[in-house]
Amino acid sequence: MARQLPITILLLIAGIVAVWGTTISLTSETPMDREEVVFWHFWSGPDGKVVDDVVRRFNESQKDYYVRAVSMPGNNFDMKLFLSITGGDPPDLINQDDPIVGDWAFRGAIYSMDEIAPLEEVERMRKWLLPSARSLGEYDGRLYAVCNGLDIRALYFNREMVEEALGGPVPVELESVEQLDMISELCTQYTNGQLRQVGYLPDPRRLWAWGPVFGGDFYDEQNGRITAGDEAIISALQWMQGYRERLGAHAVATYRQNDQSLPNKMFPLLAARYAVILDGQWRVRDIEAAQEVSRTKGEPVTRYGVWPLPVVSRQGKNGWVNGNVFLIPRHANNAKGAWEFIKFWTGAEGHEKDAAETCAAGGWIPVSKQVVESIEFQTYLNEHPLFARFVEFAATEQVPTPLVPGASRYYREVNNLVQRVMYDDEVVDLTTELKILEQTMQEHIDRIQGRPSFAEEHADE
Amino acid sequence: MAAEARGIHRWSGWLFVSPWLFGLALLFVYPFVASLIWSFSEYDLLTSPRYIGTDHYERIASEIVQGKGVGKALWNTFYYAAVSIPLSTMLAICLAVMLNWQVRGQAVFRTLFYLPSMVPMVATSILWLWLLDPRDGMVNGFLSFFYETPPLWFQGIQEGVSISSPFQFGSKDGLTLMSLWGVGNFMLIYLAALGDIDTTLYQAAELDGAGSLQKFRYITLPMLSPIIFFNLILGIIQSVQAFTQVYLVSEGTGQPAESSLLISLQLFLAAFRDLEMGYASAIAWVLFVLLALMTWGLFRSSRNWVHYRGVRI
Repeated sequence: MARQLPITILLLIAGIVAVWGTTISLTSETPMDREEVVFWHFWSGPDGKVVDDVVRRFNESQKDYYVRAVSMPGNNFDMKLFLSITGGDPPDLINQDDPIVGDWAFRGAIYSMDEIAPLEEVERMRKWLLPSARSLGEYDGRLYAVCNGLDIRALYFNREMVEEALGGPVPVELESVEQLDMISELCTQYTNGQLRQVGYLPDPRRLWAWGPVFGGDFYDEQNGRITAGDEAIISALQWMQGYRERLGAHAVATYRQNDQSLPNKMFPLLAARYAVILDGQWRVRDIEAAQEVSRTKGEPVTRYGVWPLPVVSRQGKNGWVNGNVFLIPRHANNAKGAWEFIKFWTGAEGHEKDAAETCAAGGWIPVSKQVVESIEFQTYLNEHPLFARFVEFAATEQVPTPLVPGASRYYREVNNLVQRVMYDDEVVDLTTELKILEQTMQEHIDRIQGRPSFAEEHADE
Repeated sequence: MAAEARGIHRWSGWLFVSPWLFGLALLFVYPFVASLIWSFSEYDLLTSPRYIGTDHYERIASEIVQGKGVGKALWNTFYYAAVSIPLSTMLAICLAVMLNWQVRGQAVFRTLFYLPSMVPMVATSILWLWLLDPRDGMVNGFLSFFYETPPLWFQGIQEGVSISSPFQFGSKDGLTLMSLWGVGNFMLIYLAALGDIDTTLYQAAELDGAGSLQKFRYITLPMLSPIIFFNLILGIIQSVQAFTQVYLVSEGTGQPAESSLLISLQLFLAAFRDLEMGYASAIAWVLFVLLALMTWGLFRSSRNWVHYRGVRI
């Protein structure tokens, strides 16, 4: 009996493994005659349904490839990806929205599109993309990521509040930041000494937008230098600091934190907490939904509008862009299939109609003028005039967070500094602090660039 | 025959413990040794580790001197531990003593006070984000009677237990309050230990004319000292490992302005956001050494204040 026990246990384990293996093969949904493309993304809820629909349409249109979408909501997406790459079994395609393209491209974690697709096809794709969409995927002169949806920020305003404050019509566009300051001051209201309504309050994360608008650059691409200490960026931060000085650090911090306590993280503009707020195009849906509720209830419908960021200097850009990008991890099993899916989703190479349908369903900004101009998308824009303005802004000079190695930390460190400036009454020498940040980040980037990349190390594979 | 049976018996034993041994080697010994090697290497998860000597340790030392990066995170962790551990120890002992009183509904009270410890950390964090909202939160609603400008909690970079901003509570103080809410586990251990104290000690003290406070000071506390010691070590380790709640309330960045950047989050960001696995491993080793030193110091000091069955060891 004692002799048979180990053998019995081993047989039992083998049996469990065998049954498990069978279950795995049974759950595979990919048709036998097609190559599987594994696609990792982080969408869920209503957006997840839009993604499922794009995948379904692609799969129906295909004979060669079959996309299997894996939704991975949560914050450990990057960790899982890197473990899968080092483990030798990465997905074929991923979606990302963090400023990581330059970093991952430098480290060789992702393919440049010209390593997968014919060069002329990639060139066509580059020209076909809007400049703002192209800028989100280019590193060292090559296209490493293809944007599938742009995120553009602009100044939403409550028309009733601004009209009342100005005592007349609302301007179509702001002429200057001084005009924004003036509107902000007129619309700011207190109750019992507490801020009840703010005209405008700069979000500490948006020095990335205001810096370029003031004419600054966070990175000198030609010389490969971090330029956080740029005069124009200092000016932008000084301007943001002015709001803290006028309202007080305590009031600013309290007010910002209170935004988070709104039910379901409601858009604070709808809660009448702000007269003007900088946010992205996805808020149009919230506004339309709120207006619809008011109409249904027979209540007065609040009107909202949107301004582009005002022009500050001649060298200034129009704003800051980020968005979702497709990336193909190195050693993906089916990079070519992933490329086909990228073209289908974005609308390249004759798929404009499909892309228009996707963007309209998701409320996403198309990445190409051709998709915007398609009849399907024009119909959508006519029905959503507020959203149409964001599409208009997307075609202007919008700059991304620099695509450099170590950009994630750079992004974080800048935000940390601005939070210190905005949430504390301590007097900070902005020039010195930005120069220190510039030096620290330069050292960080130099350190990363001083090592071989994954692509170089695995050149033979 | 007997020798053969013994041989089989021995092999069976190894076979039965093999899953554990395999797990120990794979999930503990290997990462332990690997992280030590990586701490002397440039390693980004994607490429092979490249030996660079003590660069990471020098960088950590320089950051500690400048009070930036690891230095800032270590300070935050020290502050969090130094405030939360004594408070949670005191609160847990007080609650345990009170819940040990023979009153009607004792079991109900015990359950009620233990319940918060069973709430998942994610739910707890969301709840406290609401409770500590500077304007509409319930806590500030109460504190507004005493404060002209109520604390900012998770949005504040101030430190409430400091000379520069006394009672102006910021993000770390918010985390401390959260930790106090989950004090039930410690309380349960104290409660069990209280039940273990020999009642004849109290009877003897009463005969000598000792009052309640004296009994608490000279019997309860010394008899609880091994448990206090145990919980102290556990508390230090938990403070250093605090991650989920910090990640949630600071949106994974240690905001505002790194004021809630505890060392575990700093380590996570270095490893998986900045892909500096070698640097993160060095941080982990510095932490390991610091924890070992603190534990050693506590063990040394325990000779003076920990009593095992009334005897100091």
